[in-house]
Formats: sequence, C-alpha cells, structure tokens
Amino acid sequence: MRCADVPLDLALRPVRALAFRLPGRPAAEMAELSQAEAGGGLDMLEACERTARADLRRQFFLHALDQLRRSRLFRQRAAALAQARSRTTAVLEDSGYIASHGIRGADPLYSELGELRFLAYVWLAERRSARRFAAYQRLMAGDPAAAGMFAEIGRDGLLHVTYSRAELDLARQRGEPVTSALWAVRRRCAWQAWMRFSRRVGDLFAGLWLAVVYLVVLGPFSLLARLLERDEPGLLAPEADDRSAAQRAWEQA
Amino acid sequence: MVAACSEERFSRVKQDAGLPIRATRWCLAHAGIAMEQVEAVVWYEKPLLKFERILVSQLLGFPWTLESFRRTAMTWLTDKLWVKNALCKELGIRPERLLFGDHHLSHAASAFYCSPFERAAVLTVDGVGEWASTSLWQGEVGQPLRRLAEVRFPHSLGLVYSAFTAWLGFRVNEGEYKVMGLAAFGQPRFADQVRKVLRPTGDGGFAVDTRYLRYHQSATESYSAAFVDLFGAPRFPGAPLDPTTPEGRRYADVAASVQAVLEEAILVLCGALHERTGLTDLCLAGGVALNVVANRRILADSPFRRLYVQPAAGDAGGALGAALWAWREVLGGAPTPAGLVPGMGRPWPDEDLERLLTELHLPFRDCGEELLDHAVEDLRAGRILGWFQGRCEWGPRALGHRSILADPTRPGVQETVNARIKFREAFRPFAPSVAAGAEDRYFDLLPGGQGPAEWMCVVADVKPDARALLPATTHVDGTARLHVVKPQANPRYHALLTRMGQQTGHPVLLNTSFNLKGDPIVATPLHALSTLQASGLDAVYLGRFRVDRRDLPGADS
Repeated sequence: MRCADVPLDLALRPVRALAFRLPGRPAAEMAELSQAEAGGGLDMLEACERTARADLRRQFFLHALDQLRRSRLFRQRAAALAQARSRTTAVLEDSGYIASHGIRGADPLYSELGELRFLAYVWLAERRSARRFAAYQRLMAGDPAAAGMFAEIGRDGLLHVTYSRAELDLARQRGEPVTSALWAVRRRCAWQAWMRFSRRVGDLFAGLWLAVVYLVVLGPFSLLARLLERDEPGLLAPEADDRSAAQRAWEQA
Repeated sequence: MVAACSEERFSRVKQDAGLPIRATRWCLAHAGIAMEQVEAVVWYEKPLLKFERILVSQLLGFPWTLESFRRTAMTWLTDKLWVKNALCKELGIRPERLLFGDHHLSHAASAFYCSPFERAAVLTVDGVGEWASTSLWQGEVGQPLRRLAEVRFPHSLGLVYSAFTAWLGFRVNEGEYKVMGLAAFGQPRFADQVRKVLRPTGDGGFAVDTRYLRYHQSATESYSAAFVDLFGAPRFPGAPLDPTTPEGRRYADVAASVQAVLEEAILVLCGALHERTGLTDLCLAGGVALNVVANRRILADSPFRRLYVQPAAGDAGGALGAALWAWREVLGGAPTPAGLVPGMGRPWPDEDLERLLTELHLPFRDCGEELLDHAVEDLRAGRILGWFQGRCEWGPRALGHRSILADPTRPGVQETVNARIKFREAFRPFAPSVAAGAEDRYFDLLPGGQGPAEWMCVVADVKPDARALLPATTHVDGTARLHVVKPQANPRYHALLTRMGQQTGHPVLLNTSFNLKGDPIVATPLHALSTLQASGLDAVYLGRFRVDRRDLPGADS
C-alpha cells in the first residue's frame, strides 16, 4: 500500500494521462494496481491480526477483503486486456513484485508505524486511491467493463476513507497527536518515494558502471579463465579438505 | 525439532528468496528461546563459493554475459555477499556464532538425520549449490556424513529439467511439477534428442551439452537457439495446453522424454551409489527429490529397497539439514531422532480461533465433538472444504493441516476444484490422502515406499478396480501421488479419514494445498478466511469451528 500524494506524483499526473494512451499501458496499469492492492490487502490482514482493538480488527478485516477483491478484479481486467508476453503478463506473473517494488517492506507496516500512524496512513492512502480510481474511470471511459469496475471500487474506497477518517477524528478527541501522525506519514511517504527514485537512478548508473567494468576489467580475466577452464563431466571425487567440521563451518568458502 | 517454517508463510511471497528473518524470530519465540541462548545460527551454503561459481561462469561466457553479470553483480554486491552481516544485524547474533554449511551437505543432512535409518546411502540432486549439482554420500549414525563423489556445474539434472520447464512455457522453480504431470500424457519419442542434451558418462554420472543451454551464462534464459532447433518452437507461457491436440501432444511427448531421461540418469546414479556403499537404504534430497514419479522408479528399478525423502526436500529444507549437521557434527550433539512431523509451524488453539471469529463478527458454528461428523456430511454432500487444523506444514506439501479437501469418489470433483478454486491446468492430478492401513485396498505402493508416501513424495499405482472409484485423484497413467496418514502423525486428519471410511466405505480424500494459484499455502486463519472469500470453497473448518462462505462479506459469486 502506497500512501500520500507527493509533489512529484501530482506533477506527473498530466504525463500519466498521456502515457495512458500508449498501447498496452492500461493493461500494465491494471496489473500494477493489482499487485499494489494485493500488497495493501496483506498489510491490512497483518494489522487485523495485530491490533488490540476488537472493533478495529473487524474494520481491518473487511478492508483487507475489499483490497484483495480489488486486486483480483484488476488482475482479471489486466489479463483480459493483455497481449502475450507483454509487460502486463510479466507484472502479473512476478511473485516477488510486491517486495521488489516497495509495496510492502520486510516488517509488517502496522508494527512499524503503530496504530495511530497506521490509521493515518490508511486514510491518506485511501484518499489518494479514490482520486486515482476516479481518474482511471475517466481515462477508461472507452472500456465499459473497466469503467464500471472503477465505479464500483470507488464506492468501496469511499467507505475506507470514511472509517479511517472517523477513527482519526475519535483519536483527536481522545487527545492523540493526529496531526503529527499525518505529517509523519507524509514525510515517510515522501522519503520512500525519494528512495524509490534514487534507487532507480542508482541502478541505472550502477548498471552503466558495471558494464564498463565488465568490458574493461573482466575481458582479460576471461582469457585467463578459459585457459584454466576444466570442464569435468561425470562423477568426480570430492576435493580434499583437511579442515575439521568446526573450521569449515566457520568459513564462507 | 521444535519448530520449522518457511519465510513465505509470513511474507506471503511464494518461494521467498529473502533472508528468513520473520520465520527465524517466530521459531525462537515459539520455543521460548532468546537469541543470547542460541549456540549457533547455521546458514545452509557457502556464499563466497557460490559467488565464485557465478563469476567464473560469466568470465567463461564473455562477452555474451554482460546482462547476466550486471544483474548478478548488483544482487550479490549489494545483498547476497553480505549475508553474514545481514544475519548478525537482523537477528542480533554475534558473528562467532554464525556458521556456514555446504549446500549439498545441508541437503544430505536434512534427509539422513530425519530418516529412520542407522546407515544409508544418500543422494542429493538439485539445480546447483556452490559448485556441485549432484552429490553421493554415505551416512551412519554417530559418524560424519561422508561425501563419496559429486557432479559439478554446469552439468546439472535440475537445471536441464528447468530448461525444459521454461521451454514448455512454465515458470522455472515452480512449473516442474507441471512437466511431471504433463509427461504422463505423452510418449518419450524425443528421448534420443534429450540424450543429446543430457548423456551418461559411463562412470555413474552424466554430462550436459551446454551448446543447447543458456543457464550457465544467463540469468533469464535457460535454453539456446540450438535447443529450439532440436525441439521446435517453445510454448508461449499461458497459452492453452491440451494434450489431446497435435501440438499439445508434442509438448507432452517432450515432457515424457525429459522425464524418462531424468529417471535413467537417476537410476545410473543410484547404481553407482549402491556400488560404492553396498547399502540398500537410500535417503534422497534436493529439488529433484520432489519428482515423485522418479522416486517411484527408484523403488521399482534401483538396487535400493527402502527410500526416505523428507517433505521439504528442496532448498527450504537446507535450513533443517544445516541445523542438524551443525548439531551433530560441529557442536557434538546427541544423535537423537530429529522428530520431524508434518506440522512444525505456528499452532492456532481453538480458544484463539473462537476469539478471532467472534471479534470479526462472522457467523460460525462451533462443531465441538461433532466436528468430524459435520465435515464428513459436507464432503458427502459434494462440498469443497478448507481444512485449517493445528500447526502449519513444513515443506511444499499440504499434509492435512492446511488442506483443501473433497470427496474423490464424486464424479466431476476434479473439474470443480480446478474451476472454482485452484485454476490449475486440467492435466494436473490431485493427490489422495488415505488412512494408514487402508492404502492396500486402493493402491499398489511399492515395497519401501511407505516413508515417502507419508510425506506425499512418491506415486503409487492405483489398483485397476479403484480407478473408476477415485477418478479425481487418479492420473491418466493410472498412478496417484499418494499420502498415507498415520494417526500419530496427524491425529485429527486421520480421524477424519477414518470417519469418512465409516460413513462411505472409503477412507480416502482428495487433498490439495490450501491456497489460491500463485499464493503460498495459508498460514493464519485470516489467510484462510480471505481465501474462502476469494475462492469457490464452500466452507472452512478452523479448528472445531465451521465458517460458511455465504456468511462472508463480499464473497465472489
């Protein structure tokens, strides 16, 4: 689950609208949304398991079921729109997508944020999703099945915005620092967006640098490797190793 | 053994390749052990040796390995090379307490130290570890495991099988089961072509002709253009696959051919291992040990008389083997039985389940002492059930703790489970569970196969007169991936099978893993309920409580 609008996200909105017209893009967006909703649903299930409040447990459970259902709807639509061997199918089949794209971290989001900040996160994320889904509904007006799906999902989303907002209001009445929680979540989201962007840039430069290393440094070593190459098929005797089990266990090689 | 669980059950990433931090923390918490009390944490392989193998392969493939080098360097330099630091930081363990096993040693230990054998030959076959892809061992209680011989990368049975998996349009490391299932529909008429790729070397081992393959030089491609010249155009992933059509038949014949050649190679390895050890008991581990059809062939045609395979025979089981190896051979621990049972994961007591269901405001029925009667009534009425009982299974098989169950004697149940829940290819069979003692009524399990049958790791012939009775769990070749359930291994599931037998005359159930396509097996009741909502399951039994799908909000129609 990704949370708040960040300036970059807002600035890119018109670009996204244009990009949406590219062939295959709507299907790929559906696939990405499917993964994002699946990740969000898992976060909600974890929150449901961890919260100490029985009333919230039910809310989180219903929310999780909604998100997982959304994920399935997006997946079905993406699969219907996708071409064989497209980015869409790659996203749909990537079982590690949620982790590799920062949708979920290694630790449960609820444990990381705590209850108040988690609720702030849910409210911001759902509010953002509601806006995005409304935009998708407009962009996909030519695809009645998709537009209908977004309309239905938008209604569900409204319920999530409402309950999370109500919870924050109650927390404010109890004197809990809701405003600072909201800002903390916004800062976290902005930081994570920056980190994702930095990582992409870093990966790009690292890839270029490694290509240079490969061509310049590895080339000569490859000649050496070929000279020393021993292709030994069949059963081989194990290499002699006179280290004790304890010594071997200590070493990584 | 106190606890064992895969990281995927926590992260919900199928076959999660990340560090198993949450699983480790849970195991320690379950055992009530603080990290300061831990004598050793053992990693199941040698990262530096593995990196060396990858780097050398890329040097040998220069200049065609640029993309592979870029990918692996970024993964290894930022992550995998620093596994020691990461484990110390995440788990809070002191570096001197962190030990490193060897990939195939971990596999071998996972099989031998869990087996009931005092002495046994041990064969480990997988894709690749550090350098070895196949290893031959001898194990004896009280003695260190002795490595007798090995086959080294790029010669690998597992990676060749995976190359065919990719060519057949299935996902590598996930679709190998599908190749095995598809093989039964074909004839091995391409076996000679497969033998060009994989040939015996005459010394008990085998060799791979790397001209046909790419896995040694590429992170994303398994086979080469020469492979396509040999076998024809690959199948598009996701394209329809019907073995009754000419094209589907061709794919099935290739699957049958690679399965046949794999079995030949394993039998030759078994012959060499038997010759070196003179033993008649065999422990098998590594990803290839999950090839249940090949396991049956070992029982039928190798010199070994008894076979043992533990349920997490793939890389997940490396953790088990590494721990057992360090306990016995490094720390000098007592050679007590490992105590492996099907459920080693998180337990969910009935009180916790009742509280959860109550707090979720879900209508449920407390079946109390009549749990089995209710479940059998559902099954007899043709309902498909989620069965969530006790502790989560260790390994990829659902063994009656997190299972989807149906009555296999009902016509059309296979199609129903496929269409409403699993969305699997129609050519893949479902497995039968049978109460121990009744298996001989329905199945011809080869002598020595009792051990793997308890872990659903071997196929058995379905008796001719039982095939019409159990259509949903009988494969096209008349075999079934049998699961024999003993009361001491899983009392409640055994009792359910027994009650089914009392009421229907047949103590047999269709048993498939409790998950949706692409998901790991459910671990918690919330996962079970969300799967119930998302699928065409009729009801789920959480402990002694029954939840009907129609009572769940937003259940898909």
